Amino acid sequence: MKSPAALAAFLLSLPLGAQVTFEQLRDAPQRNGSWLTYSGGYNGWRHSALDQITRANAGKLKVKWVHQMPTTHLVSATPLVVDGVMYVSEPPSNVVALDAETGAKYWRYARVLPPRINTCCGQVNRGVAVLGDRVYVGTVDAHLVSLDAKTGAVLWDVEVADYRTGYSITVAPLAVKDMIVCGISGGEYGIRGFLDAYDAKTGKRRWRHWTIPEPGQPGSESWSGDSWKTGGGPTWVTGSYDPVQDLIVWGTGNPSPDWNGDSRLGDNLYSDSAIALDANTGRRKWYFQFVPHDVHDWDAVQVPVLVDDEWQGRPRKLVYWAHRNGFYYVLDRETGKFLLGKPFATQTWAKGLDANGRPIRLPNIDPSPEGTYVWPGVQGATNWYSPSYSPKTKLFYLAVWENRSVYRKGEQEYSPGNRYIGSVPLIDLPDDPGYGAIRALNPKTGDKVWEYKLHTKPWAGVLSTGGQLVFGGSDEGYAFALDAENGKEVWRMNTGGVIRANPITYTSKGSQVVAIAAGSSIFTFELPK
Amino acid sequence: MKRLPLIFFAVSLFAQNEFAQSAAPRNPRTSPEDVAAGAKTFRSHCGPCHGLNAEGGRGPNLTSGIFYHGETDAALLNNISDGIAGTEMPGLFYSPDRVWQVVAYIRSLSSASGAKPSGDGARGQTVFQAKKCSQCHRIGGEGGRLGPDLSLIGSTRSLAHLRQALLDPNADVRQRYWVVGAVTKGGAEQSGFLMNEDTYSIQFLDMSEQLRSIQKADLAKIRIEKVSKMPSFKASLTERELEDLVAYLWSLRPKERAR
Repeated sequence: MKSPAALAAFLLSLPLGAQVTFEQLRDAPQRNGSWLTYSGGYNGWRHSALDQITRANAGKLKVKWVHQMPTTHLVSATPLVVDGVMYVSEPPSNVVALDAETGAKYWRYARVLPPRINTCCGQVNRGVAVLGDRVYVGTVDAHLVSLDAKTGAVLWDVEVADYRTGYSITVAPLAVKDMIVCGISGGEYGIRGFLDAYDAKTGKRRWRHWTIPEPGQPGSESWSGDSWKTGGGPTWVTGSYDPVQDLIVWGTGNPSPDWNGDSRLGDNLYSDSAIALDANTGRRKWYFQFVPHDVHDWDAVQVPVLVDDEWQGRPRKLVYWAHRNGFYYVLDRETGKFLLGKPFATQTWAKGLDANGRPIRLPNIDPSPEGTYVWPGVQGATNWYSPSYSPKTKLFYLAVWENRSVYRKGEQEYSPGNRYIGSVPLIDLPDDPGYGAIRALNPKTGDKVWEYKLHTKPWAGVLSTGGQLVFGGSDEGYAFALDAENGKEVWRMNTGGVIRANPITYTSKGSQVVAIAAGSSIFTFELPK
Repeated sequence: MKRLPLIFFAVSLFAQNEFAQSAAPRNPRTSPEDVAAGAKTFRSHCGPCHGLNAEGGRGPNLTSGIFYHGETDAALLNNISDGIAGTEMPGLFYSPDRVWQVVAYIRSLSSASGAKPSGDGARGQTVFQAKKCSQCHRIGGEGGRLGPDLSLIGSTRSLAHLRQALLDPNADVRQRYWVVGAVTKGGAEQSGFLMNEDTYSIQFLDMSEQLRSIQKADLAKIRIEKVSKMPSFKASLTERELEDLVAYLWSLRPKERAR
C-alpha cells in the first residue's frame, strides 16, 4: 500500500460485514476471543491473554469436539478462528470451515491436484490466512488461492511457481495491509527461493523478493558459478510483521543441495537467514545469516519473535530467534545487528559465535562419505514448530530436540523437479534416538529457566496464555498444559495420534477453548460447564 | 514459451498411458551399467524413505521381491514415475529410461534372484525342532511369542543376516526385543520385551507372555538393556546344521500369490 489514502480506499472497498480488517490484525488480533493469524498476532508470540483456563483448573480440561479430516497426510495446520468460525487447511491443500462451538462443517474447498507432486517431507499445509471476507491458502502444486469465507467459492487462483520444477507451498500465508504474503517450499529440489506479495483483492503480484541474488546483486559473490540458479533458500514458515517499521521479518531455508556444498562455494547468501523486507516494496532492509555455507540442512524457518524491551539499559526493538542450529539469538530489529547468541541445546559444530554472530566452526563437522556425527541432528535442535513469548512471565518457550545425526556426503546432479540434496543422512540413530523437551529460556540471556522432558522428540509448537499456562503436544500423542513459571505439568491427555502442529486458543460462547491438530484430527478442549 | 512445456507434458503423459496399456512391457535397461546407474538414483531419491540399501525405513523393504502395489516391470515403472495414490510415495520427474534403471536396481536386490542357500531346508526344520527354537519363535501360529515370529522371515532377511542372527544375536537387536527390567515402588520386579515407551509409561510382554502396561510414576527403577535374550548357537550347531537351519528359515516366505 503506497499511502494512507490508498489503504483507506482499500478498506472502504471491502464489503460490509467484512470479517477481518488490517487494523484488527494489527491492533487486536485476538479480539472477541478470535485467532486471526498464524502466530496469533504479527509479533509472532503465539500468546493469548485469555485466562479462564488457569493452573488451578486446567487439570479438568476435557474434549469439547473433534474434527476428523478425510486425509492420510500429516496434519500440521494452525487453525484460525474468526467470529465463531474455524478455518483450517486439510492436507494436502484443502480448506474446511467449521462451527468453532461444535465442529460442524460449513463448507470444504477440495483442490484437485496433479498426480505428481514432489514435496520433500509430506504433502502438508500449515494453515490459512484471513483478510476481509476471504480465506487464502497455498497449495502443494504451488498456487495461491483466494476463497470466499462464507461459501468456500474460489475468487482467484494464481500460479506462484511451476510445481514441476520442485516448487510447492506448505506455508500459511500472512495477510499484511491489503496484501497476502506467501512463501515457497522446495529446498530439497534445487529451487531458487523467494517471498511474494499479492494483491488480496485481485491476486496480482505486487512484488517478489528473491532470497538468492542473481549475478550483480549484493550477495551474489557468495555463490560459485551458476549455483545461485538452484540455490534453494525457501521461505516455508510464516514470518512476522512490524507495523511501526512496516517491516516483514521472515526466515529463509537451507541452500541446495543440502548436504554437499562443493558446487556452491561461498557463504550462500541469503540462505539460512533472517531477512527484513520493506512491506511495500519487498526490498531488503537488513539480514542476518545464522549459518554461512550450511551443509547440515539447518533452515532458519522459525517464527521470528518481535519484542520491544529494554536491552542493556535502553529501550530497543528486538528479535528473539531460537535457530535450528542449536543457538538462541537476539537481533536488533532496526538493523539486524547481532546482540546475543547462546546454545539452547547440545551442539558439537561450533566453538561459539564471534562478535558479529558468525559461527566459529569446529574441525571435522562437515558431512563425509563415511558419515560424520554432529549435534544437533538433521532436524535441528528446533525446527518449524512455533515458539511462544509470554509478556506475563517474559519467558521464551520452545520445543527442543536433543539428538544427533550421521551426516553423509554424496554426489548430486541437478535435474528439474527431482531431489537435489547431495546425500542421504542417517537422521535418527536407531539405538540412540535422543530425547525432547519443552524449555523456557530467559530471552535476555538465553539461559534455561526450566525444562519439561519428553521421552521422544516433539514436532509440535507451544502456546502461552494469560492463565500462566504453556500448551504443547508430543509425538506420543499427548496434549499437555504446563505451568508457565516452572514447567510443572498440570494437565495431559492422550489424543491417540502424533501431534505435529501448533496450538491456539479462542473463546466460544464466552468460554475459553484450546485447539490443536493431532493425528488427522483437530482436537478442542474446554473446562466442564 | 509458456505453451511448449505444457504440450510436452501432455504428450509425455499420453505416451506413458499408451505404453502402460501395451502388453506387459519388459525392462529394456537391465545391463550392469544400468543397475549401477539405478543404484545411484535410488540412493539420492528413494533412500531417504526406503533406506540406503532398500531394506526399508519409512517406506517398505524393497529387497524381498514382494511389491504390494504391482510386481510387473510396467507396474514398477508406473509407481516410481507417478507415485502411489493414497500413500506417501511421490513420483519422480525422470525420463522412463532413467526410471527403468531404478527398476533394474530394485530387481537386483530381490532375494529371489540372488544367492540360494547351500543347506537342506528339510533337515533344517529338524534342527529347528531339536534345538527347541519354537519355545520362543512362532511359525504359522505354532510356537512361543517371546522372540520374533518367523513365518515369513525368509522374505525379509538376507542369508547373511539369518546366519548372523544365529551366531551373534546381539549384532542386530530390534528395539522391540530390548529387555525391560522394572522394579515397582512396592519392590516387585518385572521383566519382559519392550513394546512401547512414552514419557509417562512403558508397555512390554513379560517372560510369561503377559502384556504389561506400567506408569513410570509407579516405578522405583527402570532399566532397558539393548541386548538379545536369544543365546548364540555358535558352539551348539555344526557348520552343516547351521546351513540347513538357514536354508529352512530362508524357505519361510509367502506362498506364490495368485496372479
